[in-house]
Amino acid sequence: MTTSATVAPGAIKDPGDIPDTPDMSRMYRESGARLRAAMADHGVDALVLLNNGSVVYATGASWPLLDAGLSHVERPVAIVLADDEHPHLFLPFREGAAAAADIPADHLHPPLYLEFDEGVQHFARVLTDLVPAGAKLAIDELTGAMRRSADPRFAGAVDAAPIVGAAKLVKTIDQIAAIRKACRITEEAVVDVQKALAPGVRQIDLSAQFVRRAFELGATTNMLEAIWQVMPESRAAGTWTTHGDLALPLLTTERELSAGDVLWTDVSITYRGYCSDFGRTWLVGDSPTSRQQDQFSQWRHILDEVLKVTKAGATSGDLARAATAANSGHKPWLPHFYLGHGIGTNAAEMPMIGTDLGEEFDDKFVFPAGMVLVLEPVVWEDGTGGYRSEEIVVITDDGYVPLTDYPYTPYGD
Amino acid sequence: MATEVLPDERALRNARRERALAQMEAHDLDVLVLGRQANVRYFSGAPQLWVAGTRPFGPICTVVRSTGEIHLNSTWDEGIPDDIPHERLYGLAWNPMTLIEVLKGIDGTATANRVGTDALTPSFAKLLPLAFPNAELVDGEPAMRAARRIKTAHELAVLRGALGIAQDSLAKAVAELRPGVTEQELTGVMLEAQAAGGVCTPATQDGAWVTSREHPWRRARSDGRVESGDLVAFAAGVLADGYVGEVGRTWPVGDIDGPAVRTLYDRSQALWDKLIAAIKPGARAGDLLAAYDAAGEPLPAMPVAHGLGLGFDPPVVTPQLRATADAEVLEPGMVLAVTGYVWREGTGAVFGREAVLVTADGAEVLTSSPSYGATP
Repeated sequence: MTTSATVAPGAIKDPGDIPDTPDMSRMYRESGARLRAAMADHGVDALVLLNNGSVVYATGASWPLLDAGLSHVERPVAIVLADDEHPHLFLPFREGAAAAADIPADHLHPPLYLEFDEGVQHFARVLTDLVPAGAKLAIDELTGAMRRSADPRFAGAVDAAPIVGAAKLVKTIDQIAAIRKACRITEEAVVDVQKALAPGVRQIDLSAQFVRRAFELGATTNMLEAIWQVMPESRAAGTWTTHGDLALPLLTTERELSAGDVLWTDVSITYRGYCSDFGRTWLVGDSPTSRQQDQFSQWRHILDEVLKVTKAGATSGDLARAATAANSGHKPWLPHFYLGHGIGTNAAEMPMIGTDLGEEFDDKFVFPAGMVLVLEPVVWEDGTGGYRSEEIVVITDDGYVPLTDYPYTPYGD
Repeated sequence: MATEVLPDERALRNARRERALAQMEAHDLDVLVLGRQANVRYFSGAPQLWVAGTRPFGPICTVVRSTGEIHLNSTWDEGIPDDIPHERLYGLAWNPMTLIEVLKGIDGTATANRVGTDALTPSFAKLLPLAFPNAELVDGEPAMRAARRIKTAHELAVLRGALGIAQDSLAKAVAELRPGVTEQELTGVMLEAQAAGGVCTPATQDGAWVTSREHPWRRARSDGRVESGDLVAFAAGVLADGYVGEVGRTWPVGDIDGPAVRTLYDRSQALWDKLIAAIKPGARAGDLLAAYDAAGEPLPAMPVAHGLGLGFDPPVVTPQLRATADAEVLEPGMVLAVTGYVWREGTGAVFGREAVLVTADGAEVLTSSPSYGATP
C-alpha cells in the first residue's frame, strides 16, 4: 500500500502520478463520501444494494465473483445510510472469500437470502432496525420474494442505479490505481499468450494460458469469457446479424487457429474488485499485408483524432463526431456497441458513447475530470480482417492520461 | 465443446421447454420476460457470452405461452437453435426504450393479462407496463424454479459432463500442492485445466485456500502461501454447456500431525455418512442441517447444500432459511451440491463438496474425486 502524497485525478500529468497499488482504506473513505454525496443530491436516505459491482463500490469488499447463475443467491448485500460513514455489509461466506477490512465489526452481518420469503421477512426486520421509518429508500434490484412481500418500502423505493452511477463516474486516485493494476496484470498475462499464438493452437488454449497467468499475477476474478474471435473474410461471409454489420463477440471454441487468421481479442479481470479491459488485433503466424497495415493506420488515425478532443468538459457527442469525421463520415464502431465506455467495478459503465441512447444523450454527457474511459474504435474493410483495439484513458483537466501500456504487434509498436 | 458454437441439443431443449410451459400454465402466466442467464438458457437453449457476477434485470428472453414463441436478445444467430428464427432475435441495446419497443411488437404482449419476470429493477417496473398495458406484473421465478427443480434425463447427462471437468481440474490443482505454492497459483492451475478441458467459464473462482488452524473458517494467512502441515481446501466449479458442476476436497501437505489429521478426516467421514443418509425422496432439505447436529458437528459458515442445474436451483440449505429448508421435500431428479465441513483447533478444516442426485430410492453421489482417507 502506498501512503505517498497524491494528486487529484484531474491533475494527473502522466502515468507516474498514479500510485502503483491502491490504498484501499483511502479508497473506502473517498468512495463512501462520493456515494453519500450522490444520495444527498438525489434526496435519498438509504441505499439497498444487491448488484455485485455496486456492493464492491460501496463497501470495498472484493471476492472472486460467482457465475451469473449462482451470484444472485449467494450475494453480498450493502445498506448505505446517508448519515453513517460506514456501510452495513451482509456477506455470505463462499469458500475463502475476502473480507472488507475497513468496515467495523458492528456493521458486518450474516448473509441475506433475498430470493426467499423467509429471507425477505428477516430482511424486513433488519431494515426496520437500521433505517428510520419514513426514510426515502433506493434499491437496485427487486427480487421476486421482495415483490411478493408487499412491503411498501420495496414498492416505494426508487432505482439506486443512477445514484451509484453518479458516484462511480469520477474515480478516486486509488480506484484509478486499482484499474491500472488490473490492466498491468492483464497485459503481463497476455504477453505470454501472444507469444504462444501459432497455427494449430486452439482458441481455448489461449484462454487457459491467460487465466492461469492472470491468477498467478494476482487477479481476483476472471470477469469475461476470453474472446479470440477469428474475423471473417468479408461482412457477407460473416455470421448473420440483426443489423447486417459484424458480429462481436463470438464465443471461444476448440477451433484450431490457422496461419493468416486475424483475431479480435477481448479479456477482462478484476484486481480487488476493479476491472481491466484488454483488446488488440492479432495475426496468426504471419505479418500484416499492406492493406492490413492500412487498417491499423486508419484505426490509429481515428484514435488520435478522438484523443485530440478528449478532456474534461468534452461530451460523448464530441468524441463520436471526431471519430466519425476521421472515418470519412462513417461511424467507426459496431451498431450494437459503442465508440467507448466507462470502466470501474463493472467492465462497462457509463458513459456509453454512440449507442441507441441517442445523439442528444451523448451531447449532454459532459466528461468530468477523473472519469476513466475505454475507447474501442473499429475499422473494417473486406479482405483484411479489419482492426480493433482498446485504449483506456483517464480524463484530466488538460486532456487524458493513458492506462493501457501494450504494443500493437504485429501491426505497430 | 466443439469447434463451433452450437445450441443445446433438440431433445434437451424440448424437454425443458415442455416443463417450463407447463409451469407457465400452472402459474397462470401469459408471458414470461426473463433476464437471468440460467432461465434464458432453459427456454432458449442458446449459449450466451459468459460474464462473472450479477447483472441487472433486462428483457433478454420473452416467451408467449399461447404461441410458444421465444424471442431472444441476440445480435447474431451463432448458437441460436433453428426454432428461434431470425425475426425473433433482437439486438443488444443500451436504451431501455429500444427494448420496450421490441416487446410491444411481439404478438401476444398487448393482450397479456399476467406477465412474469424473474427479477425487476424499479426502472423496469415503471417501463414494462408500456409494453404490457393490460397485464398484472408478477414474480415469474416460482414457475421457473418449479420447472428447473427436477432434472430431465438429458439434463443429468450434461450435468455429469460438467462434473467430470470440475473433477479433472481439481485433480490438476491437487497435483501441484506442495509447501511454498500459493492459493492463487493453485487456483490458476485449476482454472487453466478447466479452460483447456473446454470450459473457460468458471462457476466459482475460489479455487484453493489454506484452512486456518486458529479459526473455524477465516483464511489462514494473508499471503496465501501453503506451509508444511497445512490442510488445503480445493473447490472446483464450472459452467459447462450451461450446467454448474461443483466438487470439493481437502488435502494435507508436508509434515502433518498424523493422528490429529486422521481423527479430523474420520469426523468428516462420519458427517458424510449422515449427510448422504439424509438425502432420499420424501426427506426434508432441512434434514441436512439435522445431519450436522446428529454428527455432533457445528454448522459451517457456508450453506450446507444448494441445488445444481443451470446455475443455482432450490433449495439453499442454511440455518438462515431453516423454515424454508424444513418445508422443502426432496424428490427424485433433484441434484444437490452438498458441503461437509469439520474443523479442529490446531489442525484446520476438512472441507468436501459432492454432487448428489436424489434417486427413486435414495441418493447417488455423482462426484468421485479421490479423497484423502476414506471416500464418502
